[in-house]
Amino acid sequence: MVDYTVLLQQVINGVSLGAMYALLAIGFTLVYGILELINFAHFNVFMIGSFFGMWALEALGLSGQSQVLTGLALAGALAFAFAIAMLGSGVLGVAIERIALRPLRGIPGTTGMITTIGVSYILFNVILLAAGADAKNFPNPLPTRRWQVAGAVIDLREVLIWGIALVLMVGLQLFVSRTRLGKAMRATAQDAEAARMMGVDVDRVVVAAFFLGSALAGAAALIFGLYYNYTSFLIGYTAGLRAFTAAVLGGIGSVTGAMVGGLIIGLIETLGGQLIAVRWTDVIIFSILVLVLVFVPSGLFGRAAPTKS
Amino acid sequence: MSEQVEEKAGGVVPPATHARALPALRGLATPPMRAAGIALVLLAAVLFPPLIHNDGDIDAMANALSFAALALGLNIVVGFAGLLDLGYAAFFAIGAYAYGALASWQLHPAWSGFWQPFAWLGLVAQVNGSVHFQVSFWLMLPIAAAIAATFGILFGAPTLRLKGDYLAIVTLGFGEIVPIVARNWPTVTNGAQGLNGVLPPQLFGYDFGVSATPYYYVGLALVAFLMFASQRLKVSRVGRAWMAIREDEIAAAAMGVNRVRYKLLAFAIGAAFAGATGTLYVAKLQTATPEMFMFPVSVMILVMVVFGGMGNVWGVVVGALILQLLQSWFLQDLSGWVNAFGRLVDIGWLQHVQLVSSIELIFGIILVVMMLYRREGLIPATRRVAALSLEQQSAAVARGGFAGLESLGGVDERCAGPLLDIDNLTVRFGGLVALRGVSLAVPAYGVVAVIGPNGSGKSTLFNAVTGLVRSDDGQIHFAGRQITGRPPHVVLERGIARTFQNIRLFPNLTVMENVLIGMHARLHTGALGALVRLPPTAREERAARERAIEILAVFGNRLLPRVDHVVSSLSYANRRRVEIARALASRPRLLLLDEPTAGMNPAETLELADQIKSLARRGLSIVLIEHKLDVVVNLAETVVVLDHGEKIAEGSPAAVRQDPEVIRAYLGRSAAVL
Repeated sequence: MVDYTVLLQQVINGVSLGAMYALLAIGFTLVYGILELINFAHFNVFMIGSFFGMWALEALGLSGQSQVLTGLALAGALAFAFAIAMLGSGVLGVAIERIALRPLRGIPGTTGMITTIGVSYILFNVILLAAGADAKNFPNPLPTRRWQVAGAVIDLREVLIWGIALVLMVGLQLFVSRTRLGKAMRATAQDAEAARMMGVDVDRVVVAAFFLGSALAGAAALIFGLYYNYTSFLIGYTAGLRAFTAAVLGGIGSVTGAMVGGLIIGLIETLGGQLIAVRWTDVIIFSILVLVLVFVPSGLFGRAAPTKS
Repeated sequence: MSEQVEEKAGGVVPPATHARALPALRGLATPPMRAAGIALVLLAAVLFPPLIHNDGDIDAMANALSFAALALGLNIVVGFAGLLDLGYAAFFAIGAYAYGALASWQLHPAWSGFWQPFAWLGLVAQVNGSVHFQVSFWLMLPIAAAIAATFGILFGAPTLRLKGDYLAIVTLGFGEIVPIVARNWPTVTNGAQGLNGVLPPQLFGYDFGVSATPYYYVGLALVAFLMFASQRLKVSRVGRAWMAIREDEIAAAAMGVNRVRYKLLAFAIGAAFAGATGTLYVAKLQTATPEMFMFPVSVMILVMVVFGGMGNVWGVVVGALILQLLQSWFLQDLSGWVNAFGRLVDIGWLQHVQLVSSIELIFGIILVVMMLYRREGLIPATRRVAALSLEQQSAAVARGGFAGLESLGGVDERCAGPLLDIDNLTVRFGGLVALRGVSLAVPAYGVVAVIGPNGSGKSTLFNAVTGLVRSDDGQIHFAGRQITGRPPHVVLERGIARTFQNIRLFPNLTVMENVLIGMHARLHTGALGALVRLPPTAREERAARERAIEILAVFGNRLLPRVDHVVSSLSYANRRRVEIARALASRPRLLLLDEPTAGMNPAETLELADQIKSLARRGLSIVLIEHKLDVVVNLAETVVVLDHGEKIAEGSPAAVRQDPEVIRAYLGRSAAVL
């Protein structure tokens, strides 16, 4: 007998995780859409983003989960932490593009992807050496406030995560559809050569894609910290691969697809863990990754199929 | 211009005997200096344990050899075939668990009569009423290789249609799934704790036990064998097919390489290397845990291949040994020195820093630095060749067509009816109709030119005939046999070879290799044949190389001095010539030339037009797409005009020129009225 209250609770949890994966997936999709590059460094930009967020909260004198803030103080602390995590990650993403990836642009094949694996390894080990291997207690100033919905519990934390994710995603959609740079990004994603000839500064577009994607990864990373109350040098790989699966599922290159895909992966993670077994969650998610790539390579919303022409 | 050209006519065609001295023909035999070098390295490797006499160092070396074997396997997949595999450790795991489960106490079903035959064979024993698996290590080496190869095909098959980075992601997915399954399947693998008490190998009653030296020798023998196998495969028809796929998949298929077969073969052989190595590794450690086969291991093997030089057999072995020994010797020593220095100067963190744990940082830096500054690795796969002398560089422009064409052969077979018969061919790309009901017959010995404005469907016609695009309607018959919808390599085998509008050679391969790949469909050596290389195989290879030289010789001294040059270093016109030579190498009956003179100067155009004419005289049927109308008029008996995917005219060059439809298509309606 399935307990529907438990399932509802898992749906709530899944939406929160899904929001995080969606923000992370957007980074993969933006860069892929423009450069056709799978950016493994994104995994650990996310991981470092969580450290930026943690350091920002610690700089405010917060530590652990016992120091609770409310009202304006809470809003200010969170805004500061998000700003630092997003800015730090964004700058890191741009630096990676500038130093390691731009010299390789235009070289066909898997060179770029191999380089991003190398960059990811460097980021991972720099944090391992600098911060140590132990899991860090992530400061969480949110007060405990809960609402009962049909037997399930919605925490203030969840509401906050949903709200922030929604604001960021709507903001991104507006940016991409309304601003000059956003239009240039879409044009470059369609046809980089044509965009260049029409006067689009492709370098600027690439930088924008890396900055936005990495900044959203920073936001996802702070959400990770607030959700799980810890961070460590290890968090990038699992979360990154799941978010990547989300991007592929939604159709890589499509921002809407990344959002929907993220939500689906979040729900699969919590409901799959509930209905099947947590130890098989990864197998389920990787099987989805493989099956989607092999059978529906353009995903739910994708236009460019990642198969050979 | 043309007068100047005429003066030099009578061309320079080096005799084929001269060609024998060219290095391309030496490819098969190992030069003596190299053989001596290999013997020296082998001697040093054999003498290493008694000379070093330190079990820890021998142990490190034995482990390093295992990773060298893994790097060799990944090199087949990534270096030769160009298929980036990010989950290669999965095959290592499969080989390891195959031996681990069949040579330990892990599986112990109740004893029954069923097991008796296996007990007689010595594979199992009855212990306290249950079965104890004790399959011999030596037997398991090939069995584990075969099991891993099976999984290689299984995991490879879904990736066949995917392009590079997506293929990598799928392999990464499998690479993740295998260790998780190992962790969650305790009956066979004992889960996260890992297998215990895996039996050490025995040889003539000698038990290998835990001493490193015997494992070192087995590892050395394995690496030596795998290097030998890799090298043999590399210089064979099989290796060339892999490299062709790596360089340009479409062109490889169009030149007769069965992509599905050769990709799966690369996955299978690469996996087999890992399977055998897994068996050795587990026998040495006598345990296997899922952590030994996770993503970082796959990346480490990739770093070894990238560092050493993708595609270079010695390179990847050296890369693997350096990185492993860096890890187990140098970083440990360095940590010791730094710690001692820390104690000396009394700085706390210096006394405790462990540099071994930073090996992954070093891997990351190696990957990035190699990609940015030295993508070809420590030891590049293609060696540079000496620059040409001034005399060799000066091309003698030859008019009058090919000399020495007798060597082409195999083109004068007769058939009833048209050689190529295209009937009502329609190709759609989404809403766009690229070809609409086009019919076309090419008679044997005929030269047909296809002309038409840009975007009129000329190249699509070639692509449909050669199987590169699927036709939506209509039939294509070649020499009386249906070829509609057949894959490109089958079309080539039947006798249709082509060139591409924007030249699709295999850019990082030599002229010789490019031409040899053209012969792929006419040669027979398989993987096993290449490995054993019995006299018939060696003869076939030698004959193929000699024939390649003969084919190249028809271009005078344009290509002969450059046989060992990488084609990307050639001039544009020479690349066009290599592409034609490659097509001729497949012994075609019909040659499809897509704008063969594009980008050539007038003299070169005349030269090539003559050469095409002489091909036709030799009995080769030709369809050519051409924009230069003088070339068309000079060569073609029949001209077919396409416009917007439809055939608007067909006839002799003179008749087509007058056709109002044609004039309208080229110049617009008002011109036609005038």
